[in-house]
Amino acid sequence: MYTVLAIITGGFFGFSLYITGASMPKKLISMLRLQNLTLMKTILFAIGSASVHLAITAIFGWFQLSHLSIKAVNLGVIIGGLIFGIGFGSVGTCPGTCVAASASGGLKKAVAAIAGGLFGAFAFTLSYKGLKNIGLFDTMNLGKLTLFRISDEYDSVLNIGYPGLLIMGLLFVAASLLLPEKLRSDHDA
Amino acid sequence: MKKRNWIRNAACLGAAFYIAILLVKPVGVSTQFSVLSGIFHSAVNENVITQDEDAENGYKSENEYYNRHGGKLAKSIKEPWNYDFVFVLAIPVGAALAYTLNRKDKRSELSDACADEKEDPHEQSPFRRYLPSFIGGFIILYGARMADGCTSGHMMSGMMQSSISGYIFAAAVFLTAIPTAIIIGIINGGKR
Repeated sequence: MYTVLAIITGGFFGFSLYITGASMPKKLISMLRLQNLTLMKTILFAIGSASVHLAITAIFGWFQLSHLSIKAVNLGVIIGGLIFGIGFGSVGTCPGTCVAASASGGLKKAVAAIAGGLFGAFAFTLSYKGLKNIGLFDTMNLGKLTLFRISDEYDSVLNIGYPGLLIMGLLFVAASLLLPEKLRSDHDA
Repeated sequence: MKKRNWIRNAACLGAAFYIAILLVKPVGVSTQFSVLSGIFHSAVNENVITQDEDAENGYKSENEYYNRHGGKLAKSIKEPWNYDFVFVLAIPVGAALAYTLNRKDKRSELSDACADEKEDPHEQSPFRRYLPSFIGGFIILYGARMADGCTSGHMMSGMMQSSISGYIFAAAVFLTAIPTAIIIGIINGGKR
C-alpha cells in the first residue's frame, strides 16, 4: 500500500518539478541571478497554496496531525544552508530537482550531480561524529519549533493555530503575485 | 514558459506538497542520498550495520549517524523498500511522464538542462563538462545532510508548516546562493 502511495505522491512531485521548470538548472540559475523570478514566484505560490490547503483541511478536522513533521533548529541548519547555497548557486540544482532532471532531458549532468551528492552525503555520514562532538547540533538548539501552533507536539512562537497558517499561506500567495518578474536586467550580469 | 501558465504550474506543485502530507508525510529527498550511499557502504563493509534486537529499530551501527534515533537510518539502509525510498524513485518517473507529454517544440526550449555557460562539446572533455555538476552535487548534499533537509524537506515542506527551521534554512541558502550565482555569472562574462 505504501509503495502505491509513494509512486503516486513521488510521481506527482516529479511531474510538478518538471512542469514548473524547477528541474532545469538554467531556470534556477536565472532565478538566483535575479534575472527571471518566475520560479521564485512559483515557489512562493506553491508554499502558500500548500499552507492554505493544509490549514483549511485541519480547521475542518480532516487532517491527520501525525502526518506533520517538523525539523529541529540548530546551528547545523544555518551552516548546512550556507554550504548548500554555494553548491545551489554554482550548478543550479538541488537534491529533488536533479533526480527529476535525470529523466527529463538533462540525464548526464543530473547523474553527475547525483553521484556527487552520494559522495557528499557519505562524507557527511563520516564527519557526523566529529561535527556532533564540537557541538554543531547543540548550539542554538531550539528544538522542533513552529511559528503557529499546528500541533501540541511542537512548541510554537505564536499561540495561534491553523487560522494563522491560513493567513500566512495567503500572504505567501499574495507575495508571489506581487513579486516582479525580474529585479536585474539581463545585461547586468 | 507562458506567463499565464505559471500560476497553474505552481498550483500543481503546491498540490503535490499538500497531497504528500495529507496522505502520508511531508516531501523529503535528501535523506535518501544518505540511505543509498549507506547501502553501498554496508555492502562494502558488512560490519558497519548489524542486527541488534535491543535497538529501537532492530539495527545498530558503529557509525554514529546511522545509529542516530535508535538506528533509524541503519534500518532504512538494511530495509530500503519503504515509502521514502520509493517516493524518490518515483520522482524521475513523474518527470519523465511530464517530459513525454510536453509538446516536442516546447521541449527543446524547456529541456535545456545545462547550467554551464560557454558550452562547446567539441572543446570540453567529458571530465571537465560534468565535474562541476559532480562537485556541486557533493557540496549540496553535504550541506543538506548537515542541515537535515534540503529545498524540498526544509524549505518547501518546512515553510508550508510554518517551521522555524524551514525559514532559517531558506534564508541561509539564498544568502550564499544568490551571490554565488551572480559572481559565477560575472566570471563567465555574463553569458547565459
